[in-house]
Amino acid sequence: MLGDIITPDLFASALRMATPLALAAIGGTLCERSGVVNIALEGIMLTGAFFGTAAVLATGNPWIGVGAAMLSGVAISAIHAFASVNLRADQVVSGTAINLLALGVTGFLMELWYGHPGTTASIQVLRPIFSFSSPGGGFLAEAWRWVNGIVFSHTPIVYFTIILAVVAQWAMYRTKWGLHLRALGEHPRAVDTVGVSVYRGRWVAVLMSGALAGLAGANLTIEQVGSFTENMTNGRGFIALAANIFGRWTPVGSYLASLLFGFADALQIKLQILRDVITVPPQFFLMLPYVLTVIVLAGVIGRAVAPAAVGEPYKKG
Amino acid sequence: MPVLELREVTKVFPGVIANDRVSMTLERGEIVALLGENGAGKSTLMNVVYGLLSPDHGEILLDGEPTKIRSPRQAIDHGIGMVHQHFMLVEPLTVTENIVLGREPGRFGIIDFSDARAKVAALSKRYGLKIDPDARIMDLSVGMQQRVEILKALYQGAGVLILDEPTAVLTPQEVRELFAVVKSLVAEGLSVVFITHKLEEVMAVADRIIVMRGGAVVGETRPSETDAVGLARMMVGRDVVLSVEKGAATCGDTVLDVVDLQVKDDRGLDAVAGVTFNVCGGEIVAIAGVSGNGQSELIDAIVGLRAPSAGSIALKGADITHASARASIEAGVSHIPEDRHRRGLVLEFDLAENLVLGDHRSAPYASHGFMKPRVVAEMARTRIADYDIRTPSEKVLASSMSGGNQQKVVVAREIGRDPELLVAAQPTRGLDVGAIEFVHKQILAAREAGKGVLLISLELEEVLSLADRILVMYEGRIVREFVGGEADAETLGYHMTGGGGSKLDEGAQTEAAGQAPSEGEVVR
Repeated sequence: MLGDIITPDLFASALRMATPLALAAIGGTLCERSGVVNIALEGIMLTGAFFGTAAVLATGNPWIGVGAAMLSGVAISAIHAFASVNLRADQVVSGTAINLLALGVTGFLMELWYGHPGTTASIQVLRPIFSFSSPGGGFLAEAWRWVNGIVFSHTPIVYFTIILAVVAQWAMYRTKWGLHLRALGEHPRAVDTVGVSVYRGRWVAVLMSGALAGLAGANLTIEQVGSFTENMTNGRGFIALAANIFGRWTPVGSYLASLLFGFADALQIKLQILRDVITVPPQFFLMLPYVLTVIVLAGVIGRAVAPAAVGEPYKKG
Repeated sequence: MPVLELREVTKVFPGVIANDRVSMTLERGEIVALLGENGAGKSTLMNVVYGLLSPDHGEILLDGEPTKIRSPRQAIDHGIGMVHQHFMLVEPLTVTENIVLGREPGRFGIIDFSDARAKVAALSKRYGLKIDPDARIMDLSVGMQQRVEILKALYQGAGVLILDEPTAVLTPQEVRELFAVVKSLVAEGLSVVFITHKLEEVMAVADRIIVMRGGAVVGETRPSETDAVGLARMMVGRDVVLSVEKGAATCGDTVLDVVDLQVKDDRGLDAVAGVTFNVCGGEIVAIAGVSGNGQSELIDAIVGLRAPSAGSIALKGADITHASARASIEAGVSHIPEDRHRRGLVLEFDLAENLVLGDHRSAPYASHGFMKPRVVAEMARTRIADYDIRTPSEKVLASSMSGGNQQKVVVAREIGRDPELLVAAQPTRGLDVGAIEFVHKQILAAREAGKGVLLISLELEEVLSLADRILVMYEGRIVREFVGGEADAETLGYHMTGGGGSKLDEGAQTEAAGQAPSEGEVVR
């Protein structure tokens, strides 16, 4: 029984499940570090998922789909940037509006373009980069089966996300852009008085978070599922926000937190086989990742300190 | 040729002329003090120079060249640095990161941190501003943070340094260190504009004094040509009583009795570690101490905002140790809080609402759970007249009033309630001479009326002039008690930094005579 649950596939699928969360969470980190709350991650991710799928359906090329997903994420996050930076609107309201807008627009375009609600036709997906065989028996072959399963079984965006987390972490603490970003969310006026533009810094950060959340959507449709379904993000954007907080507003922290949530998700799928042993509804296991989110946030949120100026519009002069 | 010259600078805000044809000069190596009451237009003028505001008329000349300064960045590029009243420091970042922010050394967008650290160390050595380049701002004392601000301006290549109310937040020792730093800066060829409303500072540090009132320059003088009384007259436009006149204390019944009180701070550490004292009617007892030595927690416990962990508090014999803030008001404790914006007022409320806060549940302002707006408004108008609150009506929002008037509202409410005990925490913080005079008069009137007054202040002058008894608090304990008139600023400062206690070693004692012991400064 335990051997059925703990397999290389459990850990491989944890990595897969963590990827969309981590991309959106790192996007959220960049955005919130600049002082803009981004609860629109959910809607941006959904937008990316839809336009990514639509582009693949139109062209047959999954890479064009990835590009379209990121571009659509940038476009819809521009609304958030304009509302929160230039208009100094309430960022939670703006984010909520975008979430609702994304849900409505994708549903509407489904009808308009494909003539029906629900799910699109299947698309050409991105394949795993490597494909090694795992021959023979014995201990060495068993070890190779684990390494191959966990490390070499993934699609491009999964690897990209790991690299991104490390690079973003380095950039945040070692480059001028990173120093300005960290200062922006804490004390924008201090940044302004030394002649660095607060508006520009925040715009760039919000658009970057849009690109990453869009990419997260592409990962869902073009790498994992192979089609778009209405509201398929299903709260992942909010879990990503939680992962960003749990990761203390750092890219690597966000990735590791996402990995934890991804693992919980992978585990609940494996645990479904326990239904043969104890009688519980399948929703019980589906619930687990969300319960974990609540527990984790209740446990750490008191100690995690958000950027001081997050959510506060900046007015020059 | 002056390094900085202003000609007829005028800045108009809607409805107010903040600067009215102001002209001034600043020579190389000179310290000019810009003296004036709050709202006299000093900071506005300097914000114009620093590019934060643009003037409506007039011109700014740098080294004789007419120059337009449109942003702080341009001001910095022209060698003008400014240390604001509210620091422009990013708390979680390190000293080095803050100093190089916006002008980071390095190539291809990558910061060369070893170079940055070396530059900071070199500056800090050259000007004698000792600092740990890797410390986080949030772990530094206010005095140290100010040092970082000055270093930041120097790093940016400032030749003209504007200090906006730099001493408002410092301890006496830190003020003296700052003066030494400023003098060493001008010795290195810098020019300094020093904005303040404190007379003794002007006399101590300035080469030349420019006095502003109501947005205009009303006079220019030198410390050798004037004295504090003359400056105060120029500043306020009338004679001001600088020293407080008061009769001998008439000690009545014990009003407040605090026995062996212990209070924990937010982190669960003992902030007040066993304090015993009393205040009797008709007496002002002052608690002197460097900020963060348990005074705030002590006040919180007395007014019912924080539960003591041990000991007792009694008001006129009745136990109020565990009274809530509401019960404590009803028992007769009034509280002028340290921070009028956070605790003293609801800024979004109007004047009448602010004046009734705390009494809004009880007669005559309410009955059967409903407030009586007409009674409240009437009371507000009476208080506005009695306490000389400058406002067109009681319906004005607290947020739109000047700091001095806001504080008068708090004082009017707390003293007007006719309490048994008045707890006044930093009652004149940030106020100008005229307003300070008024608040002091009110506190003395409460004393004459037989109330007990507990005064907590970081301003030694205030403690010395008002108090009948002075308790010095250090690391949560009362380390020394003086009867009024017995102590002077030096002695108090010495005990406030642990000089007389056993907590610090002998090194601190020998050091305290000259400069502040650094151990004393870093206490929270």
